[in-house]
Amino acid sequence: MGGKGHTKPAGETLSEAERARFADLLGAVAIRQDRNAFAELFAYYAPRVKSYLLRLGADNALAEEIVQDVMVTVWRKAGLFDRAQASASTWIFRIARNRRIDLFRRSKRPELDPEEEMVLPSGVEAPDARVEAMETEARVRAAMKDLPEEQVLLLKLAFYEGLSHSEIAAKLGAPLGTVKSRIRLAFAKMKARLGDD
Amino acid sequence: MIRITQNAELDDATRAALASGRAQPALDLFIETLMEMRGISETEGQAIAGAALESETPVDLSADALAMTFAAIERGGALPTREMTYPELGGLPVRLREAVLAAEGKAGWKTIGLGIRSLDLGAVGGLKAEIIRVAPGTTVPRHTHKGRELTLCIHGEYLDSGAVFGPGDFSYRDAAEHHEPKALAGAPAYALAVTDAGLKFDGLLGMFQALFRL
Repeated sequence: MGGKGHTKPAGETLSEAERARFADLLGAVAIRQDRNAFAELFAYYAPRVKSYLLRLGADNALAEEIVQDVMVTVWRKAGLFDRAQASASTWIFRIARNRRIDLFRRSKRPELDPEEEMVLPSGVEAPDARVEAMETEARVRAAMKDLPEEQVLLLKLAFYEGLSHSEIAAKLGAPLGTVKSRIRLAFAKMKARLGDD
Repeated sequence: MIRITQNAELDDATRAALASGRAQPALDLFIETLMEMRGISETEGQAIAGAALESETPVDLSADALAMTFAAIERGGALPTREMTYPELGGLPVRLREAVLAAEGKAGWKTIGLGIRSLDLGAVGGLKAEIIRVAPGTTVPRHTHKGRELTLCIHGEYLDSGAVFGPGDFSYRDAAEHHEPKALAGAPAYALAVTDAGLKFDGLLGMFQALFRL
């Protein structure tokens, strides 16, 4: 398979054209059970989902098992993918994220941190977000490119890896208050950027 | 009892918990259902996670991983097309509907009183999620819970502690508060209930305090 998944350098997000291509591939899986399309999706996403699971503390065997489950689910539910609502990456991440339950079951990962304080509520989400989802996907990537590396790391630790603020503080050796205010700042910058143009 | 009908206001920590799936599964299911029923979407948080997956360092899989996945796909066949026991629940948000179908394939609905049935959605990590069905006009006898309880009306309407609950309304109740909810006449009422058996809500309440300013 000359899947472009293998050649894309690590650390980079997909371009708009590549996101469109992966959405097309999911469509091909949904409409005609296209195995080549699936193989290309697999080549790109399976090694990344595996990396995600290892990050969450799965061992190699468990990670491989869950990756397989996630990709089987991608095949079976491809018909439910709606490119107007999310990118293929976001959709596949949701599937992987929902399998975190298996990690909960098999390990003693802490639940929500009871000591964690919540930061102040921000504004109410607009209900018409659906039409803007594609736009959001593009702008989130642009913002992540522009933000300082440290802030991107904080967003990833919180939104992707799901570490609590106190876990992030411990991991980075930074005071909890600093972590909270920086995450708030990074997310606010992203929101401000999303509000642009 | 606290009844909540206004829309949610999400803070960053809650957004992060929802995007990453860090919350306990029962609560995560509850919040996702609630948000979908109220038309609240959280696209930025999810898009951050999706973009982070793209920037992830790939880790090689075993050589036969793709072949094994195709084999699993062939073993699995088509998605099961089981009918729901109660067709009126067909319009539920997709994740809850799937949880209902999965639970109906296991222990299924149990009668717990006259006109009252429950469906255990299973528990991981200390919180229990179940759906309670109350026949039209039926009152659930006065009771308390061992722990605290979050209850979301998912179909029909019921009267509880003087307030009417319709789809998308939910309440939070402390242990030892008595109540006797009653389904309104005309249609069965369904609620998604998450309980903690008195032990586990502390860390989770923070999320609800932030989410709904309890």
